[in-house]
Amino acid sequence: MNQNRDFYAGLVATVFFAIVLFVLIPIYVKVPSFIPGFAPPPDMWPRVVGVIGLVMGILALVLAFPKSRKASGEQVTSLGFYVNRNKVFITRFALLLVLFVAFVYGLPVIGFVPATVLLLGILFLMTGNFGNKFWMIGLTIIFPVLLYLLFTEVTHTPFPEGMLFSGSLSGSLSDLVTLI
Amino acid sequence: MWNELLFAFQSVATLPNFLAMFAGIWGGVIIGAIPGMTGTMAVTLALPFTFYLPPVTSLLLLVALYKGSTYGGSISAILIKTPGTASAACTVLDGYPLARAGKGGKALNMALISSCIGDFISNISLFFLAMPLAMFALRVGPPEFFMLMAFSLTIVASISGRSLVLGIIAACLGLLLATVGEDIYGSYRFALSEDMKSGLGMVPVLIGLFALPELIKMIVFRPEDNSQAMKLGDNRLTLSEFRGSIKSICRGSVIGVILGAIPGIGPSTAAFFSYSEARRTSKNGDKFGEGELEGIAASESANNGACGATMIPLLALGVPGDVITGVMLGAFMIHGLTPGPLLFQNNLGEVYSLFIGMLFSSLFLFIAGKLTAGAFTKISRIPQTLLLPCILILCVYGIYSIGASPFDVTVLLVMGIVGFAMMLLNIPAAPFLIAFILGPMFEDNMRRSLAISRGDLGVFFQSWISWGFFILTILFVTLTIRREWKKWRDRRASAQSAS
Repeated sequence: MNQNRDFYAGLVATVFFAIVLFVLIPIYVKVPSFIPGFAPPPDMWPRVVGVIGLVMGILALVLAFPKSRKASGEQVTSLGFYVNRNKVFITRFALLLVLFVAFVYGLPVIGFVPATVLLLGILFLMTGNFGNKFWMIGLTIIFPVLLYLLFTEVTHTPFPEGMLFSGSLSGSLSDLVTLI
Repeated sequence: MWNELLFAFQSVATLPNFLAMFAGIWGGVIIGAIPGMTGTMAVTLALPFTFYLPPVTSLLLLVALYKGSTYGGSISAILIKTPGTASAACTVLDGYPLARAGKGGKALNMALISSCIGDFISNISLFFLAMPLAMFALRVGPPEFFMLMAFSLTIVASISGRSLVLGIIAACLGLLLATVGEDIYGSYRFALSEDMKSGLGMVPVLIGLFALPELIKMIVFRPEDNSQAMKLGDNRLTLSEFRGSIKSICRGSVIGVILGAIPGIGPSTAAFFSYSEARRTSKNGDKFGEGELEGIAASESANNGACGATMIPLLALGVPGDVITGVMLGAFMIHGLTPGPLLFQNNLGEVYSLFIGMLFSSLFLFIAGKLTAGAFTKISRIPQTLLLPCILILCVYGIYSIGASPFDVTVLLVMGIVGFAMMLLNIPAAPFLIAFILGPMFEDNMRRSLAISRGDLGVFFQSWISWGFFILTILFVTLTIRREWKKWRDRRASAQSAS
């Protein structure tokens, strides 16, 4: 298992640093027409790091490949086999990704407090352990509100109220939380 | 001098000063323990209150907040794998494994004791060595910084775990992510969106990388014991454990003092440097990263040792070394005190009062730490299924409060996923962490040095400080290559004999 992991780590690193070197740096690291003095250009350091990363990725692949073959009966376990065997885990991970994406995009729409209440509630559900039901329900509602109060009162952080709650609703929500 | 010291002692030993220090330390510990809330935030928030206080009392309050928050960062680092401050990032590496093994209290006690000793040594050095250390700090320019950073980065080899190659890959990833945003000459790099132009915040990246993978792992794999609380276990630190770490504590404190005195370095680098030195020299070096008390001692003594020392260039030269001392410079000005050589002539009474007050604050740190750590240890008793989702929400609020930016929250979540992927692929997180923190300093100083020297590489070898770090770097790299070669040869020999 470890050997396969090393093989995939090498593969991921090689692909990632190759993308960085040949795609991201040429597009996203602009070299200015004038560089003061003899200072090295801005793409010099990312290129150096990218090359080292790429070489190390290839080295990890080379070092892990023979061991992987040996460890898994002369063939490297295929990605398809892994996916099939770990279907449940991958589904849970995908659901978590969807939750995080929904949270990031939902934050400006429904506001910080409702978004964190929902996030916490769904995370509790996703843990799959309902032994502390009442604590879970209580914490889902109280904990984000307490944090909201702490950070608005102490650091005066302006949390987004949410587009849905803008106007009269936003006023009543912040009034309610402040009142609590 | 002794008359002035006695007078300063009398003026410090008053109830308002003690109350200010105690409140500052306690407030700092609590703020430092909350992920996302930093010492800078604590000092800035307290600044308006100091308008109404006498100069010495207000300065003691601010210094106490700084020290308290630096120690406080270790509490969340140990108990919930979430470094409250960047300087406590190193403490996670050994603190959390100890907490998981039911030795959270022991780890907290070691963090507290080493923080207090580091703080005390730092205060003493401030008292006796402010001027010479400030003069030494002035000799450290970009080339010396570069060599120091190069030496610090060689620690990647010793914290890579079982594979040096994967460790270097992780370090490259950290170095690359550290380049995102605007560079020193105003060019944008990897600015895939408007928000990325200002770079990736250190705190969201660190917290995302360490705190979130545990939650994701729990949700994805749902291990059998995820509803269990951590065992409290034996919390007492034995004399032999303390004795075993005393060398690392003293060395860490000295490293903290020297690096803290150099403007721009700060407690985070000092903690990493001290940790790497402790790992290299300790007979338990192999156990570092798996729950070694000496690792906590090394990093905590250095980061608190650097706290007092950051005041050295401020007081002796009027140069603030970091953001916090920059805020403190403002506090000095507000009260009509101008830091610099003249401060020691015109306001010697206030300076001595500050020094003596800082010595007292080490004692207050111990008391407040003992009282607070006891309460925080109870966190270990909360079941993981309740604790980990709450930590995520706490991190989301804390991170958002730093810059009121939803982008930071996105970075936190993305880094959590990256950290989880790294965990699955056995890529160690520690080299990533050190590279991400030291990378920008390494690159900036390299580019500055080359700009100053018009591209001449000889600039890196013009002072004895540069030479010293260069020789150490070469020595360490050679030793690492030799060690890896030997390991490879042994593995090959055992494989051949087995076949």
